[in-house]
Amino acid sequence: MNPALAFLRSDSGKRLGACLGLGVALALMTGATGRQDDYLYAIKEDLFTFHLIENLLIGVVVWLLFTFWPVIRRYLTRPGALGLLAGAMTVIVAQTVLGWYEPEDAKFSGLATLVGDTNGISALSSAFFGWLAWAQLIAVIVVGAAALVLRNRALFWVGAAMAVAAAIIASQAHKKVDELAGVVDHATGVTVAVWGYLTIAVALAIAAISTDDVARTREFVNAVLGWRPGFALGAAATALALYSLGVSSWFAPKSLNATLADVHSLFKGTSLAPIAVQYFIWLSWALVIVAGALVLVAAYFRSIILGIVGAAAAAVGLVITMISIHAITSLAANSENTYATKGPWQNLGDGAWWTCASFLALAAAGLVVAQSALKGRSATAADAAHDPSAGPRFLYAPGATLAVLGAAAAAAIFIPPTLEPSWQTALVTSIGIYMFLAIGLNVVVGWAGLLDLGFIAFYAIGAYTTAYLVGSLPVKPPFELPVLWAIPFAIAVCLIAGVILGFPTLRLRGDYLAIVTLGFGEIVRLVAVNSNGITNGPRGTEDQVPHPVINLGFVKFTFGLDQLPYWYLLLAVMVIVIIFFRRLENSRTGRAWAAIREDEVAAQAAGINPVKYKLLAFAIGASTSGIAGVLFATNVGFFNPDNFKFEFSILVLAYVVFGGMGSLPGAIAGAAVLTWLPEFLRDQVPSEDRQMYIGAVLVIMMIFRPAGLIPAKRRATELRGHGPDSAESQAVPAGGGLGGSYA
Amino acid sequence: MTDLTKGPGSPEPLPAVDGAPAASHMLDVDDIEVRYGAIRALKGVSFHVDQGEIVALLGANGAGKTTTQKTVSGMMRPSLGSITYEGQRIDGIPAHSLINLGICHVPEGRHVFPRMTVDENLEMGAFRFKRQDMDVRAHVLDLFPRLQERIKQQAGTLSGGEQQMLAIGRALMGKPRLLLLDEPSMGLAPLIVAQIFDIIRQVNADGVTVLLVEQNAAQALALANRGYVLETGEIVMSGAGKDLLADDRIRAAYLGEEIAAS
Repeated sequence: MNPALAFLRSDSGKRLGACLGLGVALALMTGATGRQDDYLYAIKEDLFTFHLIENLLIGVVVWLLFTFWPVIRRYLTRPGALGLLAGAMTVIVAQTVLGWYEPEDAKFSGLATLVGDTNGISALSSAFFGWLAWAQLIAVIVVGAAALVLRNRALFWVGAAMAVAAAIIASQAHKKVDELAGVVDHATGVTVAVWGYLTIAVALAIAAISTDDVARTREFVNAVLGWRPGFALGAAATALALYSLGVSSWFAPKSLNATLADVHSLFKGTSLAPIAVQYFIWLSWALVIVAGALVLVAAYFRSIILGIVGAAAAAVGLVITMISIHAITSLAANSENTYATKGPWQNLGDGAWWTCASFLALAAAGLVVAQSALKGRSATAADAAHDPSAGPRFLYAPGATLAVLGAAAAAAIFIPPTLEPSWQTALVTSIGIYMFLAIGLNVVVGWAGLLDLGFIAFYAIGAYTTAYLVGSLPVKPPFELPVLWAIPFAIAVCLIAGVILGFPTLRLRGDYLAIVTLGFGEIVRLVAVNSNGITNGPRGTEDQVPHPVINLGFVKFTFGLDQLPYWYLLLAVMVIVIIFFRRLENSRTGRAWAAIREDEVAAQAAGINPVKYKLLAFAIGASTSGIAGVLFATNVGFFNPDNFKFEFSILVLAYVVFGGMGSLPGAIAGAAVLTWLPEFLRDQVPSEDRQMYIGAVLVIMMIFRPAGLIPAKRRATELRGHGPDSAESQAVPAGGGLGGSYA
Repeated sequence: MTDLTKGPGSPEPLPAVDGAPAASHMLDVDDIEVRYGAIRALKGVSFHVDQGEIVALLGANGAGKTTTQKTVSGMMRPSLGSITYEGQRIDGIPAHSLINLGICHVPEGRHVFPRMTVDENLEMGAFRFKRQDMDVRAHVLDLFPRLQERIKQQAGTLSGGEQQMLAIGRALMGKPRLLLLDEPSMGLAPLIVAQIFDIIRQVNADGVTVLLVEQNAAQALALANRGYVLETGEIVMSGAGKDLLADDRIRAAYLGEEIAAS
């Protein structure tokens, strides 16, 4: 036979064909946008230009990876290899996909062209955007890879230093361009590239000091966190606070970027409260240093008292910081000759919020110190690793959970104010609301194992119940309620709706139940569309659902168009729901759900009434979704049945599966990532392509991490195995996965 | 050793009396008929189980053994006839409620919770109590030392025999007075089957009445006080275990012995 033909027929040849096909698909995915006057334009542009060759080369690289995988794998497991790879990919993505210059909406290549056309630009910038960007990336990768292959300690340090230098060059080159243009630029490209380089630097530095043959990332992370519980978080928070005080912008109305020191001179001679004046001179530094030092010393000596004192100092710092930034913003809002007129808490720079976040994280770190010292956990992370009940958890170091919670709380509270308004909107209306829905659906799908494809119906019921109760529908309630009072009613109505749907259908299993719930979802939407007299049909709510008002007598707060307060409202309700669900998961009810999901016959034999517990899961899931409906209705004001289309049910299910079925943090993370991604891609890729990228992420995730982002404890062991005897167990044992749980 | 029968308010075990009047039977199945649609799977089956006995229900594939067992354990409803347990009608009571009466059932095919540990499986067996009885747990682990060794292991990773042991152990955690076992020997190696039957004998010695549905006639009859033979939905033979074991027809049908010589 012809040798070429023989190659094509071999496995390797077929694989090459598939990879080249992938290249063509990729070329079509990332190529030109179509034109109305020339239907074949996009295909011609994609397939008959250099663009195709680029993508075919990617196909060849993938093929080479497959073919030489056993060899590559050996190097990939070495310490630092994955970090180098991830960092390099991040930089490549930053320099190809992300935006680099906001005013012109330009990506890296676009900005490079602009820089090339501009005279008088600094040598560094013109070099960077001319050739240095790619050259330095290749140099870092080559040095890093050489160090990995040769296992040369010195070369690792050289690579790390080069990566740091590359990060500095990138940020400086970009900064010079912005300075020359005199604009405020929020493009993400350069930041992401810097983070990519820093990832490489850290990975190579760790590799340089590591003595292992095979990277043990989990052990390393836990060793860092467990060395002195609370120390890592405290150190990171102190570093962030010092950076914020020294460099970041604190007060940033239009065309002004005042640092901490600038703020002092800016407000000199005004009627600023004395404590705020002192704060901007020295108090801020003193607070950070005292609180940081206390926490770090406490962590080092594992001292309970010092930890608590440190936490208290950090709390005082947080309060004083908030008083001070409130003082400057309200002063600015009331004075006439400033740029800022929007009101208190507005126009603050990133630094102010980051400092608040740092103080909160420091307080958390102090508590971590106290808690782990109190527990008397002198056991090191290595000992904890042998505890079989720790199982597959990623973080098993003592105090790690509390530290992560503290960091998450600091981020959730103080990062949103630094975001752009469009991001704040996205945070509330898609990320926050869908996190809520995912938490609810996780009860039904993840815990009770019931596939519900019409979950969005309960969300709709919650929203319409709210609209009815506040008098925004054509039918009027006997008495109108303030909007937040609708929450208990929405919970009750959704609970009843869940029972009504569940009672006749829960005898069905698996696929049948899925179809019935799908039908239910559509029925609810179609009823909303068609009952003009009740829901005002496809036109949606008649009057606006009012924004909430919180009136506690001494404090009164009215929500408006600003999205940030809704985020805090959402966060507060979500925290309550999460605490409740956390308890539920470990309760008798949670165990009954787990038993039914695992084996219904055995559960019955153990005395568990499956119908009762399934109904309970349905009702609890539905009422969570009802709360989300209330918050959605009051936030948007006007809505119509199109907000509750079938596809949203599927999306919520995708979030739960992506995050890790049955895992509460997983559902939250899954919803956060998958709602963040389309918002992020909005500015980066053509809008028609967004869904395609999300689909690709889902497919890749399900291939490489089928248990989800943060797998539930049980499902994780199922996939990871449990000690030596698990070698022969399959990746997904019979009865695992979605289908099996119902069969 | 702990007495497993000491459920709340349980009567003292009565001595087994063969042929005693119906009122004193612990479980009395009276002329039940069960249908799968148009098919009559059980055509009037009657038998009884007395306190403290081991009773074996034998039969070939499709004879109706499992249907009988499912009907007694409340997974199916008879269309005719009645089932009485300690003087109370129990046909129609759903499976999950029967355990509160002291009837515990080990379904066919080793239904353990595969992704729970052995420990958690046992805990689920005591679900009907607010908290598990640690004495019973210790007793179960005494009976099955293998489970103690694998206490933190996921049930799905156990061998078939260990899973069967776990299923029985879990049922015992519910402190049953009547234990229904459906084909505990299915798919297990002879040595393991012998072990499991040994344990059944021990459980019975502790005062738990056992209704055993089996295909493995030789071992089941060797263990049982009495046996019933089911054929196409009817009881065709009954008697003491020893007598049935000696019966030529049984030997021919279930032990595969050549009787042609006689």
